Amino acid sequence: MAGKGGANPATYSPSPTIQKKKAPLFKEDWVRPDGRGFHQCRPAFFRTGAVNAASGSAYAEFGNTKVIVSVFGPRESKKAMMYSDTGRLNCNVSFTTFATPVRGQGSDHKEYTAMLHKALEGAIILESFPKTTVDVFALVLESSGSDLPVVISCASLALADAGIMMYDLVASVSVSCVSKNLVIDPIFEEENYQDGSLMITCMPSRYEITQLTVTGEWSTPKINEGMQLCLDACAKLAKIMRSCLKEAASDSKE
Amino acid sequence: MGLPNASDDLSSEMEVDAFRRLFPLRFFERHLAESIRPDGRPLGKARDTSVFLGAVASANGSALAKIGSTTMLTAIKMEVMTPSLESPDEGCIAIDFHMPPICSPIVRPGRPAEAAPVISKQLFDTISSSGLVNLKELSLVNGKAAWMAYLDVYCLDADGALFDAALLSAVSALSHLQIPAVAINDDGKIVLMSEEDGQKQAQEQVNKEKRKLTLKSIPFSLTCILHKNYILADPTAEEESIMETLVTIVLDSSGQLISLYKPGGSVLAHTSALQDCVALTRQRVKELKSILDEQNSVMEIEQD
Amino acid sequence: MVGLSLGEQHFIQGGIAQDLRCDGRKRLAYRPISVETGVIPQANGSARVRMGATDVIASVKAELGKPSLLQPNKGKVSIYIDCSSTAEPAFEGRGGDELSAELSTALQRCLLGGKSGAGAGIDLSSLVVIDGKICWDLYIDGLVVFSDGNLLDALGAAIKAALSNTGIPRVHVAAGASSDEKPEIDVSDEEFLQFDTSAVPVIITLTKVGKHYIVDATSEEESQMSSAVSISVNRQRCICGITKRGGAGLDPSIILDMISVAQHVSEQLINKLDSEIASAEAGDDDES
Repeated sequence: MAGKGGANPATYSPSPTIQKKKAPLFKEDWVRPDGRGFHQCRPAFFRTGAVNAASGSAYAEFGNTKVIVSVFGPRESKKAMMYSDTGRLNCNVSFTTFATPVRGQGSDHKEYTAMLHKALEGAIILESFPKTTVDVFALVLESSGSDLPVVISCASLALADAGIMMYDLVASVSVSCVSKNLVIDPIFEEENYQDGSLMITCMPSRYEITQLTVTGEWSTPKINEGMQLCLDACAKLAKIMRSCLKEAASDSKE
Repeated sequence: MGLPNASDDLSSEMEVDAFRRLFPLRFFERHLAESIRPDGRPLGKARDTSVFLGAVASANGSALAKIGSTTMLTAIKMEVMTPSLESPDEGCIAIDFHMPPICSPIVRPGRPAEAAPVISKQLFDTISSSGLVNLKELSLVNGKAAWMAYLDVYCLDADGALFDAALLSAVSALSHLQIPAVAINDDGKIVLMSEEDGQKQAQEQVNKEKRKLTLKSIPFSLTCILHKNYILADPTAEEESIMETLVTIVLDSSGQLISLYKPGGSVLAHTSALQDCVALTRQRVKELKSILDEQNSVMEIEQD
Repeated sequence: MVGLSLGEQHFIQGGIAQDLRCDGRKRLAYRPISVETGVIPQANGSARVRMGATDVIASVKAELGKPSLLQPNKGKVSIYIDCSSTAEPAFEGRGGDELSAELSTALQRCLLGGKSGAGAGIDLSSLVVIDGKICWDLYIDGLVVFSDGNLLDALGAAIKAALSNTGIPRVHVAAGASSDEKPEIDVSDEEFLQFDTSAVPVIITLTKVGKHYIVDATSEEESQMSSAVSISVNRQRCICGITKRGGAGLDPSIILDMISVAQHVSEQLINKLDSEIASAEAGDDDES
């Protein structure tokens, strides 16, 4: 029996005998692999209080994308930090080794970490916890497309669960441009063949965008269409998140 | 946290809370004298335990185990390797225990928890020495190909008795594990067989059907705290931080001792105390075994 | 960090509100841009771009590699930015790492298009030597020499200039090589292929200070921003990428307005850059 680390031999995961047909998948009259309409999101499931050890936490499940976010604090900032009369936000996003179809290293995701930080920082009232730090840690249990938007929405719910003051909940949705169609809430296969993507993070009640990224070539009308799709979906998502919070609050009262 | 003698009066509740934070040891000892713990359990009773099999859809085997609020998620991914020269007819299991920053306030990104490598090693030692898995069952082609089972345990919520929960979720995932059906292709590589893939007779089928491992003598464990003359089974994180002497006993399903850890601590254990711990563990093993058996039979019914 | 007194802060904000900035520019005017090409002889292409005091260098290195399985008919491009610790005291030690990573991802997003490779500023299929077997890998490295704001736009311009300065050696493939063996190739050291850089977009960062937004902000002006949106626009006025910086939320209609302003400004910037690049290249040729 092999020990862990070090001397493990090289391994590979067996591939299926029939290679999936790639190109025909996204021809003109294609249907999405999971049978959704182009403008239809995956069913979203949220639950707060997933981790008891944290001050606040939330679990989110969009199709096969599953995420847990824990919030710790406000707690003492690191010793090396200088005095600050506003609070600090510290984020981290990591993946499990089994999150992706091929076993990964389970390491931190620097890009997502930075994006999560930017998406949330505009929504949190940092003045409400001076000199201290709020830590937002996310773990992607299973990754199956649109990971970052799910992490962001789940993190804002965890912040609410921890009682951190925010201007509004933050909801995030992305659309992919796949062979001339805009598809909302793309799954892994669609993201791999996308020509472009647009992700919006917004505070729906304030109607403000906190984070926006676009890749690929977009004409002006298409950007308008994509943004509108995302904003509408964000508003719907925020309703689901809000009802999840209300449910949790009424449960604890009983 | 329902305190047994707390009245509804808010001021007295505040006092109890303050007392608990300021004098944790005396707070606990007052409870222990009454043979009850702050969460209402008798000393020898473990917390509610549940197991859910197949929690990770993309893995070959997975399980979620909860003991109280301590939560562990295990997934097993099967990959193919060339077996070593010393044991050409055996596969491998690589076990890793992770404590991501979400699980506890003491773990921070970039600074891994001290407990993680210790538990990793304990899990590996326990599972390999118990003879739970026959590594020959993981062989595919003698000397050419064998399975490497990557078993990763993630702690999602840390509230004491981490090893017990990790072991429970690891053995549950192994009992849920299905080895995929594979064949060898012309290049000598192992490829997956899909079910509708009947015409591929040219390929040599190595493993015709999905199958499960035959697990014998499943190990289960119980961690106890020794404090003065008291023995507290299945401690929470708070109890572990106040009273430091821990004893972990691993027994297999037939009640034989697999391993016993007592990593130091201020209390020197009498033989009789250890025997009491073993007796508690023996009861606990029965409980855990029935929980796991029940889940496995539920899975079989769902599959039929 | 720029340390500004309250009075200075008001002066900057007030100037922007009145369309007259500290250095006399209007809100949508650039600082003088100068382009120098071929500054690093051992690279396949390089350029140095100065926008006011901001000073950046970009280099392109081409190496033969293997295309990825998902896109066998496309080459690979990677972009990495380094913030030199001489550029600003804050970049010392690991202080520049975060900014370097942010700039690298923003540039990748703006220049490389979607995952399928569509919409990329660089025609990736022109980098393929043999389908699925050999392609050119471009390594684009950027170095921030001195920072006085608007780094992303300057780096984008430097990369565009470096790419138009890049010559990729012509590769001859020995005919009749069997399909599974490694084909024989011969890299020419005389013949070079020039890149078509007309599709490479420019990046325009609109920095919002108060109610207005400005282009080409200096670091003093950047210290007063509430948020900034970087938009990359190509010659066809199509959007090739958007990155938002800064925490404050923005109304969607403001973002749409910013996009149309960026499209308008892009035309001037592209023309200006193209003529600078052309004259730099001409000067380069005269010297050699």
